[in-house]
Amino acid sequence: MASTQHVLLSPAELAYLHASLSLTPPIRPDGRTRTQFRPLVAETGILPGANGSARICFADGTEAIVGVKAEVERTQSRHDDETVYVEGAANNGGDGDAETKEDSRTGDSSWAEMTVEIPGLRDDDSGTAFLAAMLSEALLADGEFARRLWINRRFHWKLYLDIILISPPLSYPLPLLSLTTHLALLSTRLPRLQSEGDEDPFFDDDWAAAPHLFPRPTTTTPTHRPPITLLVMAVGDSIIFDPSKEELAVADVALAVSVSGDRSEPGEGGAGRKLRLLSIRTIDPPSRLTPPGVANAANSAYGAGNGAPQKMAEARTAEAEAAAEEGVWRAPRGGAKRAVLGALVQKVLEAGGVVDEVLDALEGVDLG
Amino acid sequence: MTDRRRINGPAGATIPPVYDDESRLDLKTATGRSRPPNAIRKMYLKTGVTPSASGSAYLEIETSGKPGVSGLKLSCSVHGPRSLPRSSPFSPHIVLSTHVKYAPFATKQRRGYLRDPSERDLGTHLEAALRGSIIADRWPKSGVDIIISIIEGDQDRETSRFQGDEVWDMMNALSGCITVASAALADAGIDCVDTVAGGVAALVQNTSDDSTTSIVVDPIPSEHEKILAACCIAYLPTRDEVTNLWFRGDLPASDMELYTRLVEQGIQASANANRVLVECLNGTVG
Repeated sequence: MASTQHVLLSPAELAYLHASLSLTPPIRPDGRTRTQFRPLVAETGILPGANGSARICFADGTEAIVGVKAEVERTQSRHDDETVYVEGAANNGGDGDAETKEDSRTGDSSWAEMTVEIPGLRDDDSGTAFLAAMLSEALLADGEFARRLWINRRFHWKLYLDIILISPPLSYPLPLLSLTTHLALLSTRLPRLQSEGDEDPFFDDDWAAAPHLFPRPTTTTPTHRPPITLLVMAVGDSIIFDPSKEELAVADVALAVSVSGDRSEPGEGGAGRKLRLLSIRTIDPPSRLTPPGVANAANSAYGAGNGAPQKMAEARTAEAEAAAEEGVWRAPRGGAKRAVLGALVQKVLEAGGVVDEVLDALEGVDLG
Repeated sequence: MTDRRRINGPAGATIPPVYDDESRLDLKTATGRSRPPNAIRKMYLKTGVTPSASGSAYLEIETSGKPGVSGLKLSCSVHGPRSLPRSSPFSPHIVLSTHVKYAPFATKQRRGYLRDPSERDLGTHLEAALRGSIIADRWPKSGVDIIISIIEGDQDRETSRFQGDEVWDMMNALSGCITVASAALADAGIDCVDTVAGGVAALVQNTSDDSTTSIVVDPIPSEHEKILAACCIAYLPTRDEVTNLWFRGDLPASDMELYTRLVEQGIQASANANRVLVECLNGTVG
């Protein structure tokens, strides 16, 4: 799995990193503040053959491309209220339709398909499946997205989101993939529908007239935006956003939090944005797989064990585990306190916090 | 490549009209919950069911009172700790691999024999939950396989409509997987900091026109009109720590109170499941 790849850091380096990250304010290896993201380069509309596309390149060299392709698909009809007829009941199918026209737009989570490809990992790797499930779960959480793909009662759009990491995974790629998907969805355009009602769909062949899947912000209507997923971790008491691979290697707990920020009213910056919490997943931190350090007192090279009566191996192990020495790295054991988890989520959802900052920055990207 | 060996039906499927009796229609609506909101379903747990594995456990969760609703049946076997193959790199910790597989007949829709992405996803969640509880550095250079088969998924066969609730079923299945895997690990004699158990809490809406919501533990999707949000928690009671948290839903960010209450209820459900687990282990292992 991408998050648990081995980091080539010695126990002493890990202990140093852990100590410097738990300071207030934490000192990060690349000199960022705790909420600062790595600088990134973003562009959209790079793939002429796709309905929407985006590319993001992080300063550390990781780069991802997302292409969104749409196909018209026949909606599989199911036995529901419209196809089950009740014997003896009055036929009320005809007259009820007109007034509930708007509400009849229903979506299905199978209408969007997401695949993630990471070089060096097998297609059926659990980590890739986990990333894809996390990104699509946030996208489909409120059901509003699937409803946008509705054409009429017989047809719908099937959206394929193909996420490709084109660099080797130098850090856990979740924030990169999520931001790229966000931009690709914002730039996605679907051909304008010309047919009416439930007839076979017929589309305008003028690409310039194609409306965006997520309409541009206007002054009158609230706008719906695709979600973003942020990686946030805790070391001691410090909460750190967008951790690099080395920082993640000493994390006590790491969370992926998906948020959507719909604008209820137009405005600059974070004003008028309504944040919604869509999903949270615990990421298994790679710190649990790091090699432990050996204290001088227990190291036979420093004279440990000389003169002292030979102890049973088990007793020695228990003693070493009980004594946590400052500066000797030990892989974290157990889980996270609920107060820490609560603080992490609180920090993400804070008004005017990191989410607003990231969304503001993404709004500045030219969508073509 | 199309299948030319068999005579296949037409590609575009049509469905015949179904004539239903008016008296049976009320079966399809949400029946409401028969338990108090903070009570989990009864469960049966037994360790040592697979003699050839070094540890194993079987978990069954009570079916709800409604006929035609199956409960959850899980079987877990633990193989190991055993030495890693020569070709694999050195590991200072035990290498954990988790497999969660639905039996082909476990759900309404048949599952294939290969694991699909949702099953892999469940496996990753389970791994995160267990890795926090295992004392991994006591077994360097060794590996352990945890294999869970879901013999019967927790699905309601009565509901004809697809309600998009499969993900909520997945959460219930995950909480069962965590509990049963923890029992099997204890049966295998693998050192853990504590027994970890899973619990689910959900924010539900009981009637479609009413906007009042309530928080229930161990939700059954068919008992409620709509599930707005749910979280699955893996919790270590003696250390008071959470090893895995999976939340999904749609909550306004301004209402942190609601989220906190949901997590608290999930922890409560997990602690209740843990009591069953400890009682079972006291009876057999200890």
